[in-house]
Amino acid sequence: MGRTQTVLFRVMVTFAVVMLSAPTLVVLGASVTSGNIIQFPPDGFSLRWYNAIVGEQTLREAFIRSVQVAIICVLVSLPAGTLAGIALARYRIRGEKLIQVYLLLPFTIPLIGSGIGLMLAFGQAGVLGSLWPIGIATATINLPFMIWAVSSSAASLDPDLELAAMSCGAGPVQTFFSVTLPAVTPGVITGSLLMFILSLNEFLVSLLLVDARIVTLPVQIYNSIRSIITPDLAAVSVVFIAVALSAIIVLDRLVGLEVFLKSK
Amino acid sequence: MDALEGVFAVAWPKGGGKLTPYLLLVPAISVVGLLVIGLVYIGDSSLRTLDRTTFLFSENYSLENYRRALSEGFTYTIIWRSLFGAFVVTIITLILAFPYAYMMVRTRSALVRKALLIALFLPFFIGQVVRAYGWLIILGNQGIINDALGLIGIEPLRLLFNYPAVIFGLVQYMLPFAVLMLAPALTAIPEEMEAAAGSLGADWFQTLLHVVLPMAKPGLIGSGIVVLTLTLTDFAMPAILGGGTQDFIANAIYDQFFRTSDQGFGSALTIILVATGSLVVGIALATFGAGTLALGKSENEVR
Repeated sequence: MGRTQTVLFRVMVTFAVVMLSAPTLVVLGASVTSGNIIQFPPDGFSLRWYNAIVGEQTLREAFIRSVQVAIICVLVSLPAGTLAGIALARYRIRGEKLIQVYLLLPFTIPLIGSGIGLMLAFGQAGVLGSLWPIGIATATINLPFMIWAVSSSAASLDPDLELAAMSCGAGPVQTFFSVTLPAVTPGVITGSLLMFILSLNEFLVSLLLVDARIVTLPVQIYNSIRSIITPDLAAVSVVFIAVALSAIIVLDRLVGLEVFLKSK
Repeated sequence: MDALEGVFAVAWPKGGGKLTPYLLLVPAISVVGLLVIGLVYIGDSSLRTLDRTTFLFSENYSLENYRRALSEGFTYTIIWRSLFGAFVVTIITLILAFPYAYMMVRTRSALVRKALLIALFLPFFIGQVVRAYGWLIILGNQGIINDALGLIGIEPLRLLFNYPAVIFGLVQYMLPFAVLMLAPALTAIPEEMEAAAGSLGADWFQTLLHVVLPMAKPGLIGSGIVVLTLTLTDFAMPAILGGGTQDFIANAIYDQFFRTSDQGFGSALTIILVATGSLVVGIALATFGAGTLALGKSENEVR
């Protein structure tokens, strides 16, 4: 890299890092203010807003609902995405191009379209008002992430290993559970973690599928920031930041974040 | 295990060779099928008009909602605002994402690489609402920037609820997507290529333009398409940072369903959005190819 390029790239990357981190840092800072409003320079340090949110039933319940939705999402997407990922990476499939295009529909259909469509479909089925349709909906719209995570893991498994297991007397079921599945486990974990986080954070589809009795946390925050911005919301947002940070640490320990830099 | 193998052998006499992949795909195909069912419902209700006196939807089909949507200036204002915004955001995001991905892939320091990855994943995992909330605190009329300006005696600036604020928020939202799609493509470029170009007398800009960028094309296309479509159809940033004055198509659709309660007209707008989005992606795919978007294995990996 030449000098000009180094300097130019460093400036741009620094700008990008500041831009990426600024909202997070500001929310963290705002959550520990001792004042009643968020201002700069900030008032003293206190954890009073964390105390306050523990007592707020609406926020606590909204958080629990979001976690439930995320768990349902993983329960649906894990089997569906794992099997599909293995199928796409390990087998020759007739009409594969078409199936790929079809399985990418959750990404190609605009989120608002998917959300409205699911809202109408679940409405017709009379199941709106419960949490599980939201879980299924978030699984549906993010499924390609799960398939992608598993298929990239499965593609790196040497097919000879499966043949070796077979020729040593393992049946197809045993081969699947002892050779194929362990090999794709890192992908399954990565994918599930992604699905959990994306579902926990999902805002638009949640907004379309909830009613006032079952708002999820992102919707609750959205409704609140449209009125007055108070520091208790910052404290709630820190919950999301903490979850995100733990997910990153788990992901880094399990597969290493660098896996996302690998070329296919 | 033997019992399982036995059950499997009975249920699937020939080891299931040919059918296995298709059966493995059934759950995923059914889950995505929900979206198809949803689209059918949208299509159906887009053809029914709302009777303003009874607030019932017509029994018979007509194209009235589409005719109305396409004859109103407001539709074009919003489509244009969304499309233009999506293009601007895509270009800015790619310009910022490229050096980011490049530095992340090429740096010799494992620490820098890790720090850049964490700076990328943290906002990606935090979600749009919390990030927009952070921007409200920073940019608001009583926000940090205006408070700081006030300290040095400058009148508060109106930094929120305008088009640039929405664009800015969207770029920040899209950057992690773009970098994560671009990085693998850059990893695939051997560093020797650049050294070779350099030793043949190319300066860094020529190397970038004639070697790195062309080789990074699949990644640039993949991330460009993702950023373009996600921006075109975004709801949260225009809603929160635009404050209702900078609606994109998704916001207009939402309003039709939840404010005006005209499900038919809202559905027609949704179909128009899906069509616009598909058209844009279709043009991009036809012009540039699928890039890194393809799922599963690449062509030559098939056994």
